[in-house]
Parts: sequence; structure tokens; C-alpha cells
Amino acid sequence: MRGAVATSATRIAWLRRRRAVTGAWRDYRRSRTGMIGLAVLVLAGLVALGAPLLADEGDLRAVNAIDNPSWAPPSEFGPLGTDNLGRSVWAQFVWGSRISLLVGLAATVLAIVIGTVVGISAGFVGGRFGGVLMRGTEWFLVIPFLPLAIVLAAVLGPSIENIILVIGITSWPGTARLIRAQVLTLKERLYVDRSRAFGASGRHLMGRHILPNVMPLVLANTTLTVPIAILSETTLSFLGLGDPTRASWGKMLEEAFRAGAITREAWWYFLPPGLGIMLVVLAFTLCGQALEAILDPRLRERRS
Amino acid sequence: MATPRLLVAIGATLAILTLATGAAAQERLILTVGIPNDIGSLNPLVGVEVPDYEVWNLHYATLTDKAAEDFETIPGLAESWEGSDDGLTWTYTLREGLLWSDGEPLTADDVVFTINRAREEAWLNYDSTVANITASAPDERTVVLESSVPDPKLPTMDVYILPEHIWGELGPREITRYDGLDGVGSGPFTIAELRRGEFWRLEANENYWAGRPAIDEVVFRLFNNTDAMVAALTAGEIDAAHYVPESSFEQLSETEGIVAIEGQQGGFDELAVNGGDGLGDPHPALLDLRVRQAIAHAIDEQTIIDRVLEGLGAPSEAMSPSANPEWIPEIPDEERFDFDLDRARELLDEGGYEDTDGDGIREMPGGGQPLDLVFAVRTESQTAPGIAEFVSGWLQEIGIAVTQRPMNDTRLLEVVGRGDYDMFVWGWVPFVDPDPMLSYFKCDQIASDPEDPTNYYNDANLCDAEYDRLYEEQKVELDEERRIEIVHEMLRRFYSHAVYHVLYLDTDLQAYRTDRFTGWVRQPADVGPVMFSNSSPSYALLEPVSEEDEAAEGDGEAAGATADGDDGTSTGAIVALVALGLLAGASLVWILRRRRTVDERD
Amino acid sequence: MNRRRVIGKILASVGTLAFVVCFNFFLFRVVESDPVGNLYRGRNLSPEQREELRREFGLDGSQAEQFARYVAQTAQLNFGRSYVTNEPVIDEIARRAWPTVALVGTSALLSALIGILIGVVAAWRRGSKTDYASTGFTMATYSMPDFWLGMLLLLVFAVGLGWFPVGGIVDPATGGGLERLLDQAHHMVLPAATLTLAYLGEYALIMRSSLLETMREDYLLLARAKGLRDVAVRNRHAVPNALLPVTTLLAINIGFILSGAIAVETIFSWPGLGLATFEALSGPDLPMLQGLFLVFSAAVIVANLAADLLYSYLDPRVRTA
Repeated sequence: MRGAVATSATRIAWLRRRRAVTGAWRDYRRSRTGMIGLAVLVLAGLVALGAPLLADEGDLRAVNAIDNPSWAPPSEFGPLGTDNLGRSVWAQFVWGSRISLLVGLAATVLAIVIGTVVGISAGFVGGRFGGVLMRGTEWFLVIPFLPLAIVLAAVLGPSIENIILVIGITSWPGTARLIRAQVLTLKERLYVDRSRAFGASGRHLMGRHILPNVMPLVLANTTLTVPIAILSETTLSFLGLGDPTRASWGKMLEEAFRAGAITREAWWYFLPPGLGIMLVVLAFTLCGQALEAILDPRLRERRS
Repeated sequence: MATPRLLVAIGATLAILTLATGAAAQERLILTVGIPNDIGSLNPLVGVEVPDYEVWNLHYATLTDKAAEDFETIPGLAESWEGSDDGLTWTYTLREGLLWSDGEPLTADDVVFTINRAREEAWLNYDSTVANITASAPDERTVVLESSVPDPKLPTMDVYILPEHIWGELGPREITRYDGLDGVGSGPFTIAELRRGEFWRLEANENYWAGRPAIDEVVFRLFNNTDAMVAALTAGEIDAAHYVPESSFEQLSETEGIVAIEGQQGGFDELAVNGGDGLGDPHPALLDLRVRQAIAHAIDEQTIIDRVLEGLGAPSEAMSPSANPEWIPEIPDEERFDFDLDRARELLDEGGYEDTDGDGIREMPGGGQPLDLVFAVRTESQTAPGIAEFVSGWLQEIGIAVTQRPMNDTRLLEVVGRGDYDMFVWGWVPFVDPDPMLSYFKCDQIASDPEDPTNYYNDANLCDAEYDRLYEEQKVELDEERRIEIVHEMLRRFYSHAVYHVLYLDTDLQAYRTDRFTGWVRQPADVGPVMFSNSSPSYALLEPVSEEDEAAEGDGEAAGATADGDDGTSTGAIVALVALGLLAGASLVWILRRRRTVDERD
Repeated sequence: MNRRRVIGKILASVGTLAFVVCFNFFLFRVVESDPVGNLYRGRNLSPEQREELRREFGLDGSQAEQFARYVAQTAQLNFGRSYVTNEPVIDEIARRAWPTVALVGTSALLSALIGILIGVVAAWRRGSKTDYASTGFTMATYSMPDFWLGMLLLLVFAVGLGWFPVGGIVDPATGGGLERLLDQAHHMVLPAATLTLAYLGEYALIMRSSLLETMREDYLLLARAKGLRDVAVRNRHAVPNALLPVTTLLAINIGFILSGAIAVETIFSWPGLGLATFEALSGPDLPMLQGLFLVFSAAVIVANLAADLLYSYLDPRVRTA
């Protein structure tokens, strides 16, 4: 640092962290795919947040659509045509983005939180306790995700909260395993032992060394878990286990299929939601890959 | 490379083989019917599925039959009958020379065996018909039925008569588990083969009392995918289809050579509101008749038919207790709840339900609980979500909020039994005699045991003592005209309570080809379905289309269709195989040809 | 390989299976339902009849008794009777197993083969347009909901072009033997294509990165130094070593493709276990769902065990340990 005198170790740590972040951002910017992904996500976020501006919520109600033609293609009724009850597909798409994204993010947060807590506990505490936790995690990992989610959703009943819960508690094992591996690696690093030798408490270790070094990995893992959560919500909604009172992209696909949109060649009904999901999932994956590249030097491509 | 060439060789051989095998010309007259529902059980004591009833109608004959036009009771196995003066004893004379399909004689003993054991062991599907009846056989061709109470259903006796020499061997427990696949029956066709998930086949019964049917076999093919079923119908691979999807119905009715039918059998769907007489309590507003009337005025049944059913349904005001429309009363104008949002709002205003806090939702008089009703949406129903969508929209416009709660049938049954609901949509399919359906809404049919909430029928949760009294009256009224009058009065009373809003009479969508068979009959006449009706009369009456007509169409259609089908299938498969092979070969070649060294590329 | 290790792994799998069995039981007991009432709605049952039926469905007795009975029955492969057909669940499952096995097996194989192929090509031509195109393509298909891809294929190839049937497994008009077999294969093209395309992405990506990493290894330099041609180096050294992580992926992916088959079979009305699951959701037909869940879990557990053992067998580093 030029000139200024560092006032405390904390300040140094924070400044170091900030530099790391700006450095990481600069590295991230260099990844073209990462930037594209980010752009798509920002766009999706804008659509979801700006839903009231883009489409009238009233258009989602069938009673308000009585005068609309049903099964109308976009050429007859813009911008995306109507469905079997005459409702505007565009309105459903725009407002449905909210649910799809919300569920995806909320479920991911739940999964990450559980997974991180379990992973850190298992890794940090280690020993018998850690072994038991990991055995439980392994069990959950082996059970095929979708049948488990289906069974849980069928038992709990279809509502937004339940779907978030179901996806959250079926997705955490992957995160837990990853975090635990990272924690174990960190534990082996010298400075942790040295701190211990100096008498540092567990909490100090956790707060100062483990957590900050695990967080970037958590972040990367999050961006890669969100697509899974979104796809899961889509599939569960499609199978009829989603919340039937709210529009979501998965629900649009379910209704389209049930009403025979394929045989009617009503592509405008099921193409947009699928494309939306694909783009959002792809965007998250690209961002996640870019983040991983920054964090894990081994994955960086050699630049000639 | 050898690979693509080898694949082509394999493909060619296969093509030759399949074309050589080819489709043999059909010598037997086989009627193929497509259906998307699989058989449940072929045991007439316990089965419940729609396809099951169709098979029993063909496999087993009954003492009396039902006319196709109007469900009139006509002779079946019995050629005539006589009733005693008090109407409690009926004597039936069986036709001469009746035989089972396996050659054994069909005598009065079979009838007596069936009815008495059904009563003694309370066979589920027979119980309501024979609970009070004792049968005896003074001689081989005479059956005497004695009823302990006056029974207006008699002399109609349409329970399936079982062969004693087969079923008599089974004990009370075994008989409910017997699979019923012995193939011994007395109807026009008997079951020959059952392959679950694929098809079931029936063969003509030489010993059928009305004479062997003109067609040799009836095959019901299961289609998991209704679009595939429609495609098969238009291609001529099947002759008829049941439960045609709405999305294809219009297109089928416009196709030449195909007749599409909307068959009504009295089945209906209703919006049921909690009448408040059950175990639990609905929203307090629903206890006020005015509120229920307002809700009735806020439902536009025609829009629901147009939008949710794509126009394929018929409106009905009163409940339909029978497949026979003469039992449904007309509701006079002054008693009817027409779609009128203003009238609905008026009623609510009169009742003092005002929106005191300006959120668009009315509250109880005096500014109490907001009017927020819980709507249980059946997740298994295709139409319930759409209906809920419309109903909640209209109710919102008159100031009543609706909270939709999705539920599967199991849970809904419980919830309704416990009375913890405000509204739901469900349906009924009545029988021909109105008695069972009417009995469901008596006071004693309301769930009363909190430990056992699903043992009930009265899902309107409404108790009307006068209704019960009228029910008892019609139950023993032997004069048909008078009985119809009583039933009409009952149903008008029921309607006036505004707990059951009949949304529509639902229709069975069916379609059949006209090029191979003719003679389809609708039951009841003009409005009913041609298959899967109450007594399935069509099959025994079908005949092949005359040979001149067939030749005129260029014996092309039927045979051509099958041959085309073969060619199409084999060709498609060959094309796919060859294409795959070429693709694989090409990519392999392309990849392996790249032989530049690594250095050149770095 | 160490026999004790093998037995240990097998025991662990059995343990997981046992966990699934218990989990299955408690999960469904959470649902407070009266299946008897549901199945027999429309008939007035006397209390005796109800008791009798409850006994038949195994719903009498305390929770502990029910659990013990459940475990014993499961061990004998008795999964109860379907609420819908009243036929034994195990018969239903046995009948519908082979279409799913055929579909999932074919798709697993094809997705692995094609995915690996693409991954090899992409890695070998890293940085080129082929690399970008193939990686982009695989990432796109991997990001789609698998059943949506199926809907697209249906629209274009079945409804639009009419090249393939709209659903089902066989045309009713076909006879037996070879003709029937070809027809079934014809019906399987679209659903198999859907699952293959949806899941080959992971193979491609992992193969690619695995191969890239392997290519940097020292022993390759040695092979090149020996003067071996490019292709030989790739085929005889790089690819086989890069294949290692992918082989385990093959077995693990079975679990994913099996899950994916649920929605895809629904779209194509493919009469397998996936469609059975979808159908069992209406009701719900709890015994059926329980049985299917057990079967799915068992399949995945076995596949994972196979992958584990296979990996240990193949990886020379682990073998000597």
C-alpha cells in the first residue's frame, strides 16, 4: 500500500479481501462465456422483476380472457398467442419466470445452507461424528433424486413451500461432500496448524480461515446448483406436483402437454418456457464454470 | 470402410424378410376398439372400472335386458314374467334351451345360485340390487324372486348371472379373488384372452340366446397415448375409439368415413358447496342461503363448457340421477339461478356483506371475517383446475376471495367427510334406476363418525328432512308416473338449497369408422354413446358393411391400410437403421482421417 | 482386488438398501389416508366389510406390527396390491420393466458412446471451431429439460413430418416376431433420441476435460518421443486413461437417465416404469409408488456399486493398494 499505515490486522485482511474480489472480477471479465452468462442472468432478473411492467397480471386469469380466442398463434394474438383457456402466453411467460427463478434460488439457498453446515461440521470436527454425517450424506446421494423428490412431493402435497423444501433437502448432499473435502484440505494447510499451536480457538479458525476459504467454493457450487434446482422445479411441476395456482414455466409445459398442444402444433405455448429454462440454466452453468476457473487454477486453460 | 456396407446389407435382408412375412389378409371378422383405460378386474363381484363393465356386458347375460332407445326393461334370459298383486313376488320364465358357452345348460339354478349367494355374502356390486330378494327355482325354467319390501325396480333384474358349475366351486373368500378368466359366459361374446397393458379379446358365443353375432371377434386395444389412438383410427388400424381426446374431436368429426359422437349417460360434474350439516364447519357465510344463491348466480356454465370442455358438454340445471333423462326435472324460470353478476352482488348487499376495508373483499355483516372461501381442487381431474380458475375469477368480481387448495382424491374424501372445506368440484355417473343416486343425499348419509370420515355419500353435507320423506315415498312407489313426479319434486328442492351447482353433463367422446362395420346404436337414442353404455347393445348388432360397398371403395381401405402400415413401419425402421449406420460410419471415417500430428496444431 | 474391500462395499450397499426400505415405510405412513374408503367409494360398506378390507390391505394392527409385516413382505418381494388394479404390485412392475430397461439401456449406451466421441474430438481439436460448436451443442442439450426436448422432437418428427409414431410402444396392427420387434424399435427411436441427446453432454464435457488433463501427462511425451503417430498416441494411451473417470460416470448416469425416463416416458406414452410412476401419482396409488421407489433406488444402488467396483478394478493405482 502506498503511504498509508495499516492500523490493524483486520483492516489488512479486509483490504486484502477487497483486492482479491476486484482481482477476481477482472479475471472473470476475461471469460467471454462467463460474461455472456451473466448478461443473460441479468436480463432474466429484469424480466422477472419487471413483470408488472411487461404484462398485466390480470391477463393470467381465465375470466378476463373470455373474449380472447383460444389456441391463437402469435400472428393472431400477440406477442406469444393464447392457450387453451384463451389466456395470454406472454403474460404467463413473464410472470412464470418469477416462480421458476424464485423456487430455483430459494431451494438452492436451502440446499447450500444445509450442505455447507453439514460439510463444515463433518470436515472440521472429523472423527466419529464426521464419519456418521458423511455416511448419512452418502445414503442420500445414492437414492435417485427424482423418484425421491416425487415421493416427497406426493406425500407433502403441491405448494410452493413444499417444492422448495423438497428440492432443497434432496440437493444438499453434493454440496456437503464438496465442502467437506475442501475443509479437510484446508485443515491440512500449515497456517491452520500454526494457529492452533498459538492457541487459537475453534471459532477463530472457523471464522478467519475456514469460512473465508470455503466461501468462494460455495459460491461456485451455488451457481452450479441453481440450474439443477430450476430443472427439478420444472420436472416436478410438469408431473403435476407443483403449485397449480401459480404460473411457472414448468406449469406452462404441464398444461400445454395436458391440453394437447403438441398435436395441435401450438408451438407458441411450449416453446417459450422451455427456451427460457434452457437459457437461464445455460447462463448459470457458464457463470459457474467461469467462477470455478478463477478459483481452481488447475482448471484454467493454458493461454498460449 | 466395411461398416456402412455391412449395415446396408443387413438392412436389405431385413426388408426382404419383413415384406415376405407381410400381413395376411384378415379372414375372420374382427372388430377392434381402442381405449385408453386398462381392465381393472374381470370379477363382476368386485371390479369397478369402465372397461370391466363393458366386458361383463358382453360376457354375461342378464335375466332382463335394457332397450337401447330408452332403457326399457325387455326380455333377456327370461322371456316373460309375472308379478303378484302386492308386487312383492315375481315369477320369470326362462327361454327354452339356454346354454352356457361351454355347452352346459343354463337353468334356473344358475340364477338362484347367483342371487342368493350375492345376497348372503353381500357381493359388493350386487348388494344394492338383491339385498332384499330371495330366489327359488320351482323347475328348471322358472325363477321366483321374493322381495321383502315393495321394490319399484322389479321386475328389472340386471345382475350378471354366473355359471354355478364354475363359480359354485368357490368359497366366500375365494370367490371375491377369482380372476373370472374361465371364458364361460352367456352373453354375445366371451372373453378369450386378456393381456394387461396391451389388449383383451372376446370371441363370438355360438350359444348366445339371441343368436350368434355376425362378427367373430371383438378386440379392445389399450392405448397409452390418445393421440396414437386417434392416429390408428384414421389410419384404419382400429375400427372405433372410446375417450377420444377433446383436441382431436373436431378434426375427427370432419373426417370422411368417420363418425364422431358425444355420448351422454347422465354423468355430470358439480360445484359442491358445504351445506354445513356435517361434522365440521364451513365458512360461516355459506350457512346463509343468500350467499349460496349469490355463488350460484356467479357461475356461467356455458363459458365453462365452451372454454374448459372446448364445447363438448351439455348444460343441465338440476342434478341427473339417472342415465335416463326423463328423471331430470325442468327448473322453472323463477327458481333458476342464471348467470347474473349483478343479481349476485345484490344478494350479498342485501345480506349485509360489505367491503368495509376497501380491499375488494366483502366481510361478514358488521365487519367481521372476510369472505375467503377454500376451494379444494382435485389434482386428478383434467377439468378441475380450469374450472377453479374461472370460478375464482367470477367470485372475485362479486367480492368473494377464493383460496385454491390442490388435493388428491384420497385426501379430498377425508376432508369432505370431516366437513373441513368450503367448495370442491367432482362428478357422478348415475345408474339407470334413480334410487341409488337419490339415496346418497339423505340425512343418514352424512359422515357422522370422526374416526371414520370417509364412510359417507352425502358430500353436499346437507340434511333436508322433507327430502328424506319424499325419498322413502318414491322408494316403494310402483306407479312409474307418480314416482317420476316425486323424484322431480325432490330434485327441485335439492336445487333450491343451492349446495350443488351442476356445471354440465359430461359427454363420452367416441368415434367409429363407417367402412367395415355398420349397425352402431346409441343408448339412449339420439344422445347416448354407442359403446360403453349401460348394456352395450351395439356389438351383437354389428354387421360387416355389404360387399358391394367394400368393393366400391376399392377393397383398398381396410387391406390397404394394413399393408401400408406394414410398409410404413418396415420402411421407417430400415431408413432409421441405414441412416444411423451411415452416420456412424461417416463420423468414424471423418475422425480417423484427421492424422495431423500434435505439433502441427499446437 | 482386496476381497475384504469388495465385501465391505457390498455390505455398504446392502445397508443403503435397508435404509431405503425403512425410509419408504415411514414416508408413506406419514400420509393419513383411508385407501379402503377411496377405492370403494360408491358402495356402502358395513363395518365388518371395512375391517376385512383393511386387513387385506395390511392396515390393521399397530405401527410396529405394520412395519414388521412390511419388512417381511418386502423381503419376499411382496409389495402389496395396487390400489387401482388390485393386482400385485410386483407383477405390474415386472410387466413394465422391460420397456424401461430397453429404453434406458439403449440411451445410456448411446449417450456414453456419442458423448465420449464428441468429447474426444473436442479435446483433440481444442480451441477450434469444432470444439466450440460441439461444446456449445452439448451444453445446450444438457441445459434443456429432457422432456421438453422430447416435446420438440415429437412436434417436428412425429406430428410434423410423420416419420415416427406419436407414442406408445407398438402398432396394434403388427403381428408377432420380427415385424413386431422392428416396430417396437421404430417406436423407440424418438424417446431414445431424447434421452441420449439430453444426457450425452456430461460425458462430452468430462471426457473432454479428462482428456485434456491426460494429454499433459508425462507419459504421453514419452510416447511421442518414441515416435508414435498422433492417432496412435491418442488411441492407445491418452484416451484409455482419460476413459477412467468416464466409466464410473456411465454407471452413475444410469441413475439420472432412469429418473429422466419418468418424464420422457410420459411424453411418449412409453409403457415402462416411468409412465407407471406418473400414473401412480394420481390417487396416489401408494403401494405402486412404494414399489417403484424401491426398484429405482435398488437399480441405482446396484449401478453405483458396479461403478465403484469397476473403477477399483480398472484403475491401476488403486489395484495395487
